[in-house]
Amino acid sequence: MFEDPLLLARLQFALTAATHYVFVALTLGLAPYILTTQLIATVRGDRSRMTAVRFWGGLYLVNYGMGVLSGLVMELQLALNWSGLHAMFGYTFAAPLALETMTAFFVESTFLGLWIFGWDRMGRWAHLACFAVVTTTAYVSAWWVLVANGFLRDPVGFTMVDGVAHLTDPVALMTNPAATMAFGHVVTGSLLVGALVIAATSAHHLIGGDDGHGIFRRGIRYATLVLCVVPIPVAGFGGVQFELFDQAPPTSGLTYTATEIEAIESAAENGVLLQAANMTGDAVMMTAWTLMFLLGPVLLAAWPLGGLDRWRWLLAPLVLTPLLPYLASVGGWVFRETNRQPWTVVHHLTTADAVTPLSPGTAVVSFGFFTLAFAALAVITFWLLVRYARRGPDGGPLAERRTGEPDDPAASDGSQEPTAPVHTF
Amino acid sequence: MDLLSAALLALLVVGYLVLAGADVGLGMLMPHVARGPAQRRRVVAAIAPYFLASEVWLVAALGVLAGLFPALEHHAVVELWPVLTVLLAGWLVRDAGLWLRARVDGERWRLVCDGAIVAGSWTLAASWGLALAGLLSGGLAMNPFTLLCTVTVIGLFALRGSAFGAERLVGPAACGTDRDAECADVAAHGTRLIARATLGAAVLTTASALLSATPEAAGPPALALALLLSAVLAVTSGLLGPMLSRHTSAVAIAIPGLLVAVAAPLPSAPIPPTTAVFVWATLVPVVPVMFVGQVWLYRMTRRPADERTFFT
Repeated sequence: MFEDPLLLARLQFALTAATHYVFVALTLGLAPYILTTQLIATVRGDRSRMTAVRFWGGLYLVNYGMGVLSGLVMELQLALNWSGLHAMFGYTFAAPLALETMTAFFVESTFLGLWIFGWDRMGRWAHLACFAVVTTTAYVSAWWVLVANGFLRDPVGFTMVDGVAHLTDPVALMTNPAATMAFGHVVTGSLLVGALVIAATSAHHLIGGDDGHGIFRRGIRYATLVLCVVPIPVAGFGGVQFELFDQAPPTSGLTYTATEIEAIESAAENGVLLQAANMTGDAVMMTAWTLMFLLGPVLLAAWPLGGLDRWRWLLAPLVLTPLLPYLASVGGWVFRETNRQPWTVVHHLTTADAVTPLSPGTAVVSFGFFTLAFAALAVITFWLLVRYARRGPDGGPLAERRTGEPDDPAASDGSQEPTAPVHTF
Repeated sequence: MDLLSAALLALLVVGYLVLAGADVGLGMLMPHVARGPAQRRRVVAAIAPYFLASEVWLVAALGVLAGLFPALEHHAVVELWPVLTVLLAGWLVRDAGLWLRARVDGERWRLVCDGAIVAGSWTLAASWGLALAGLLSGGLAMNPFTLLCTVTVIGLFALRGSAFGAERLVGPAACGTDRDAECADVAAHGTRLIARATLGAAVLTTASALLSATPEAAGPPALALALLLSAVLAVTSGLLGPMLSRHTSAVAIAIPGLLVAVAAPLPSAPIPPTTAVFVWATLVPVVPVMFVGQVWLYRMTRRPADERTFFT
């Protein structure tokens, strides 16, 4: 297996993308909840809700760090290992990605920096506005990435000029159903991820009876509502896409003739492993979805009876439920991406032609390093998330520190004039 | 449109070098300027507000490269695959150190993370040096030019970092103990020494380019830039070095980016108009937001940060 650079490059990208998505989904799922909480806290001047923002925001940042790290690696890996794709489809597939880096990620990271370092340095409305920008650009980012990903599945809006795809119709690119439906699916799926992480954290603290700020009482109610409403559109946006799987893209025939396409598809022995991965992905996704679909009404029924805060038998299993949306997400992606094989761009570019010609040695070294680094980082981040979620609002990375600690007399006097000129950079 | 897009790419690369040069350079110099855990935390506190906002320039440059200059990107990937992979690894290690440093309260943990920051910063600077040499000479080759070019770029990052450290490692919190004030002094003193060493390396690099290695890159514009670099470094080597270094280090580290833009033998292809219009029409409305965010962040964090933030 290790002498085939193509297989290694594919496996490496699959692992990178899966790791990236796991963290991105929580980012997308938590951001609207944090934004809403901060909005209410700002409007009402509500300290307990601000404590909640600091608590969930701490988890958000720990998770975001890993999202960025895996995202950087993913973007560079896409360029480094898949140069055939860029050479042919740079002007079409990579154009939305270029827009993602500038209009979404650039703004998102800058404003997240403002949010992190601005707690005590700007007005509360400005601080709220920063997170509003962060939330918006997180979704814009997902949108552009899915426009690029949808293009691979259903390439539209271009002509071939000397073996290079030239964009002719940006509107078709952006309204590509393979992209818009996937965006709807990913957004709603991410809300489920966020809701169940919030539910699990809340359940843990409600069992222990430590909910001084009402953070977890509100959290589990939010999760209940999301679980009752969102599974339906998740299935809707997902189901529509099944129809796309069997259709030939409108640009079919620009690169290969119909007979050539048939020959390529029949020649590609879609291995047993790939078939198994495809079917497992589908099955895992469907099972997890069904369980989440059933969970909503159970929680809703417990609400008027007061069970959401008290029933241990209900709360205890909730702690493990975030596994469901994560399994469904990864399963869904495996299903979607394996379904496209043997193509990278359906009916235009095979995966074998898309990969950069690599020597087996370098491919193994690169695969080994990034796989190990990712495994270590993902495990550390997961461990940190669980640890901070269990610690609660007083122990988070953004928790307010009490001023005037006995061992640090200088910190107690915030209004003290600096004794030396402040150097600026 | 093509010229405008090329200018955008150059702006993003130069912006990255100037802004990230500061925090990458300071990361490289951490073992030199910081003695003990408290000073190391100060160094990280100086880096933390900027690394996110500076690396986005590189991410944006990579996006533009992929979307508008696929031929150029293909060239870079083919010629520089090992260097870029190592660069990515260094980037990952460095950022992981920064993100994770404050997450576990243990001296050993922080030491490991600081080690990752330092090693990652050095790897980044060296990779950029190799990438510059590879782009200027049209392919990676093991020769004196490549070696000297790498040393020069490492020096430029270090100079930028020491200038940044000289400004940022002083502040109200540092005045309480005189040991902390040393950090800034060490960095300020470093600017002159590093400028001298880099000047030597830059002159030798130019000489080796003229003598043999890269005839096509060594035209008049490249020579003019090399002269400018030497002049800027010479000014910084003098007694006024620490005072001027804030600006001279920025000019100096911008020059490698400009050098690639004007002198490197790079493939170019006309950008199809629809893609160019699509990208620019979507980008232009967002530019004010990008601008406001960056300026706001850099202005807000001009004053030394609270010692304890998410990253420290």
